[in-house]
Amino acid sequence: MLQQTIALIIIASILARPYWQKQKNYIGMNEFIFWLVFWLLAAVLIMALKFLDKLVAGLGFSGSGIEVLLYLSVAVLFYFVFRLRLKLEKIEKDITKVVQNIALKDK
Amino acid sequence: MSAKGAVPAGRQGSASGGKVFCVIPAFNEEKNIEIIVSQVRPLVYRLVVVDDGSTDKTADFAEEEGVILLKHIINRGQGAALRTGTEYCLNRGADIIIHFDADGQFLTRDIERIAAPIKNGEAQVVFGSRFLNSEHSAEMPFFKKYFIMPLAKAANKVFFNINLTDPQSGFRAMSAEAARKISWRQDRMAHCSEIMFEVKKNNFKVKEIPIRVIYHNFGQSFSGGLKILKELFIAMLVN
Repeated sequence: MLQQTIALIIIASILARPYWQKQKNYIGMNEFIFWLVFWLLAAVLIMALKFLDKLVAGLGFSGSGIEVLLYLSVAVLFYFVFRLRLKLEKIEKDITKVVQNIALKDK
Repeated sequence: MSAKGAVPAGRQGSASGGKVFCVIPAFNEEKNIEIIVSQVRPLVYRLVVVDDGSTDKTADFAEEEGVILLKHIINRGQGAALRTGTEYCLNRGADIIIHFDADGQFLTRDIERIAAPIKNGEAQVVFGSRFLNSEHSAEMPFFKKYFIMPLAKAANKVFFNINLTDPQSGFRAMSAEAARKISWRQDRMAHCSEIMFEVKKNNFKVKEIPIRVIYHNFGQSFSGGLKILKELFIAMLVN
């Protein structure tokens, strides 16, 4: 119970940042909603750990609910890193196009 | 074209078989660029040096030599520099475009030899190969010759079905028609494999000629090879 409470406090403090960024218009509504949903979902899962344990056991996993949650989060992180890599690749290509256009301009 | 970059018409390279343009990408090559430019310029109709965001005096040397100088304001890699130069050549009516290096590893005497098969109609794209002549490949560092190159060759075969003897040849010539159709996207070193793949995809007539390379340094390392594979893999995903 104590661990869950600490986790919820941490989530609340993390959520304060996008809220503050939204207030200052540093991030858009879509991004704010994304982080809000993301962290609220994390909070719900933490509060429902016992249910998760049963669900995970029912699905045939040997680990506890929190372990499976950790594995899933690693997989999600990998996915985000991959998406970020693709986006970076596109930005790199765009930079090259700009550099090439400047090089060829008036030539 | 700036007055400084103007090259007198009627140079060698235009007498028969069309106008031969040579593209040399250069990044921090102030030590080599002057001599390379002076050696290559008499052999071609136009010499296009692409300064790829050098932080030394590479661009100064090139301008002093009176060649056409294109400047990348920041470093974008050899593949990108070659693309910039090739685009310039096509816009300027090149018939044959040669890609050459600025580090002094290639011999200028091979320039005419690499353009000849295109002039004669034997090929649309010609690759220089370090492996067609065993005497030439003998000078290659041992680890590179017996480990990196066979691996690169295998990767080209497996991923792109390319059977050329030199998997990473940076010395090549192509007809304007071929250059217009070959669209390599890789900005960095992976462009070599990509160009070979594009050549195969477009079914161009290909020829390899033996070239000699003087190794001033090791060149592409094993980690560099892995980086090329990574770049090609990401490109496949992005595209």
